[in-house]
Amino acid sequence: MRRRELLAGVGSAAALGAGGAVALGVFPSVETDPSGDGGSDQRGQPDPIAVETIDAPGSEAGEVRIPGAEPTFIDFFGTWCPPCIEQMPALAAANERVGDDVLFISVTTENVGGSVTKAEVVEWWETHGGNWTLGIDPTAELAARYAPPGYPAAFAIEPSGAVAWSDAGVKTADELVAGIEQATE
Amino acid sequence: MDRRRYLQSIGTVGVAATAGCLGTVPGLGTGRTVLEEPEIDLSAASHPSHGDDVPDVTLPDPLLGEEVSTTQFEGERAFLMTFIYTNCPDGMCPALTLRLRRAQAVAAEEGYSDESAFLATTFDPERDTADVLREFGVQQGVDLDAGNWHFLRPESYEAGQDLMEEEFGLVIEKAPADNYEDLEYAFPHYNLILLVNKQGVVERAYPNGATVDVERVVEDFETVVTA
Repeated sequence: MRRRELLAGVGSAAALGAGGAVALGVFPSVETDPSGDGGSDQRGQPDPIAVETIDAPGSEAGEVRIPGAEPTFIDFFGTWCPPCIEQMPALAAANERVGDDVLFISVTTENVGGSVTKAEVVEWWETHGGNWTLGIDPTAELAARYAPPGYPAAFAIEPSGAVAWSDAGVKTADELVAGIEQATE
Repeated sequence: MDRRRYLQSIGTVGVAATAGCLGTVPGLGTGRTVLEEPEIDLSAASHPSHGDDVPDVTLPDPLLGEEVSTTQFEGERAFLMTFIYTNCPDGMCPALTLRLRRAQAVAAEEGYSDESAFLATTFDPERDTADVLREFGVQQGVDLDAGNWHFLRPESYEAGQDLMEEEFGLVIEKAPADNYEDLEYAFPHYNLILLVNKQGVVERAYPNGATVDVERVVEDFETVVTA
């Protein structure tokens, strides 16, 4: 009698384990979601986040709001990240092509002011040919909302706040432009 | 998109948990926790959950050169704890780390840094040396000088494996990393974050710690710290 109960208990635990495995199995798909309609089930209109921009080629010290009145393209990067360097030429080309109707911004999620200085970020930016808006996210407020799954990571965001497109890893200029156009159409 | 999948996975766990916890008495944790019972009862899971005492473990913090125990914070700090390895190829460990790092940044902004701690335990001590952990922390934007962040590193792979399984119910095993050219082995693992209150009692277990809403973790933590 006792033994049967014990075994039943073990069976239940096994069922839980299986549930956990299924849950684990869905995680990777979050970062490779190809549907492009990811914004459709966002909860309501998110409050804009104020992102500090810094003085660098193509960028002025100040603040931008994301989401803003125009569609936003965010490139999440870090100065420690070799693929982020590799990504820079395609970003430059994409920025030329999408024009002024989009807020085009690269944002480092590093602890700027702590582990790296603004001057080091600007030096990296100059070295690798950045010439568009450069933002910093030292408290990870922006990263917390969009949760880049790796670096670099690209997000195209509609004025409503909906994420029209996102992808991680190094992309071509064509891929970037096609992604950004999902937020502008 | 995240949300739909998130709900799907929760649904799966929910069904399993119902099957596993028939006959348990709900509400045993009352009075020991700040937060109410979670919507999804995880009490049958192998890892600690709402109302359980945090497992009493002591591990070296190789960056600070001191031993840190999960019980040393009693009466002083609430903490978030997670389990990572820096070679993690799929972005899950940075995702777990981001949640702790964001909570650390909010703690600094809101003035409760000294009542908070953040513990990231590696289960890959062979590759995760002090230098590697420091570099990973810098990359992830962690404030390593705040005095509340601890990378913890078991003395050996086997010691870590035993500790993870016996104390936290997480089975860790090296697996061939055939999909990744530059990796010899990886670890399929549970993406668990634990939220522990100042009395050393688990308030929340997030078994989906890599995908759970960052702000949800941060808000739960703030509620517990400032209670």
